[in-house]
Amino acid sequence: MESVERVRRTMAFMPCDRPPVIAQVFAHAALACGRSVDEYLSSGAVAAACQLEAQAHYQYDAVFAVLDLTLEAEAIGAKTQSRPGLYPAVIQPPCSPDDDFARLTIPNPRTAGRLPMVLEMARRLRGACRDRSLVVGLVQGPMTLAVQFLGMEKALLLATDDPERFTKLLDYAAGVGMAFGLAQLEAGAHLVLVFDPAASSEVVPPGLFREMIGPRLARLFAAFTQAGGMGNWLHISGRTDAILPRYAALGANIANFDYCVDPRKLLTSLGSERLCLDGNVKPLSFVVDTPPDIERESVQLLRLFDRRGGFILSPGCEIPPESREANVAAMVRAALDWKRPDLR
Amino acid sequence: MNAGAAPAQFQSPVNLMETKKTAPNLDSLVQALIEGERDESLAIVAALVSGGMPSLDIITGGIERAMAALDRKCTAEQFNLLEIMLAGRAVMAVIRHLFPTDAALPTARASVVVAVMEGDIHDIGKAILKILLAGNRFRVVDGGKDVSVTTVIDAAAQSGASAICVSGLISSVIPQVRALRPALFHAGLGHVRVLAGGAALKQCTAAALNVDYVGQTAFDAVAYLNQVMEACHGER
Repeated sequence: MESVERVRRTMAFMPCDRPPVIAQVFAHAALACGRSVDEYLSSGAVAAACQLEAQAHYQYDAVFAVLDLTLEAEAIGAKTQSRPGLYPAVIQPPCSPDDDFARLTIPNPRTAGRLPMVLEMARRLRGACRDRSLVVGLVQGPMTLAVQFLGMEKALLLATDDPERFTKLLDYAAGVGMAFGLAQLEAGAHLVLVFDPAASSEVVPPGLFREMIGPRLARLFAAFTQAGGMGNWLHISGRTDAILPRYAALGANIANFDYCVDPRKLLTSLGSERLCLDGNVKPLSFVVDTPPDIERESVQLLRLFDRRGGFILSPGCEIPPESREANVAAMVRAALDWKRPDLR
Repeated sequence: MNAGAAPAQFQSPVNLMETKKTAPNLDSLVQALIEGERDESLAIVAALVSGGMPSLDIITGGIERAMAALDRKCTAEQFNLLEIMLAGRAVMAVIRHLFPTDAALPTARASVVVAVMEGDIHDIGKAILKILLAGNRFRVVDGGKDVSVTTVIDAAAQSGASAICVSGLISSVIPQVRALRPALFHAGLGHVRVLAGGAALKQCTAAALNVDYVGQTAFDAVAYLNQVMEACHGER
């Protein structure tokens, strides 16, 4: 069974030859094939080549058309800082609380900043993978973009002090994400992962998620579905127990849960909801732990979700670039070997 | 909407305090601070001061109790950054109102350096910790973000700090965090406690980071420092 079909069937809770395993490998792909993070970030072609080589090495089920998480903010004028061997970071947000958010221009993903590099990456990955390995695009969710556009403190205070203006900022952020995501689908991504860690219940109350963020996520997912996306993947890291059961109603087909979410409690809270889950090996374990640790944690997860189905083995968040290769391989091996009777 | 008020529909349904908002008193101040009501907190404080209440009583009976209530909320996993920021904004406004100049601040219990290590520029965790430490009468020395081990050690030496708190969102700072304790010993500052927290660092054990304590939240760090102060200085 090819990876795309395996993921498609898992999303639909249909039987598969084995559970899918997806490692959120971005810049680690470069290090895994002997290149540097800086090389990875410098070119869509190089990044795509790294993704393909890493996928061939590890044998997981998906590749990612992902460079780093400053692209959208940079495209609208944020100042970023780059350091050798590290992802860039926004050091000066592009907006201020006084801006008229309704009048801001949505950047064209085909021309603005480094966004075209991601589209090139998606094209190359899809060209190489066809419908064998899943090609995943990524946009940041409206809350995370709002935080990047204004800065964390100003964004959160605006949400409280002037909710009406804040919703305009969220609308703008969702518009940026929608344009970028649609372009990624057109370039070849099978689906788009919406990454919105700032929507976590560690950052904002569940009520704010429900009233302000949720409707914008639903809008994104509806647009991606209409554009032919194979599914919608919502990834909110951190504590999400109180909001994750709402994801399906927003249009998400796959829900990531982080290491701090208890999978047993999650199963209970989801009840009969047929929402495909992915998670939740602790990301830092790939840096500091050993292959037996990773394999043990992975097998426990596979056992827990075996009867329910609708589960993709993955880390709770991105695999850090400096992770040990043997640890990534251990997680993948747990899924590849899942048919072995001694593991089940 | 009041500048400091969290939108009612977003507030946690959990009642932290059973206090009702009546005449200005310390209980109503605690409630207003917990709810992040900056303007209401300031109005209550103004009334308390004009009624003759000493500033230090407002700190201990109002701010410190509000901090303790927030800590309990945090322990119950109802912590979120937005509510803590609002409460922190209200707390800092009250402190500035009571003590317009730093020189007038009540005697600090100890100095604590807070910093984000080189390569990481995410400092919202540090900002929250600063507020919580100030609310617990620690003198906070901001060592900055994206700073070297040497800078942090120098800040600890110059301020006579009892502890260093480092926050890290990305895992690439781990080697620098591990280097802090040896550098402290080398500088003759082996008595200085090292605490770590933040999204990446909190996934590690204290042993793995070579620090004294890893907090899951900023409140954990403050609680740990409070325990240290009690153990070392007989504070209660």
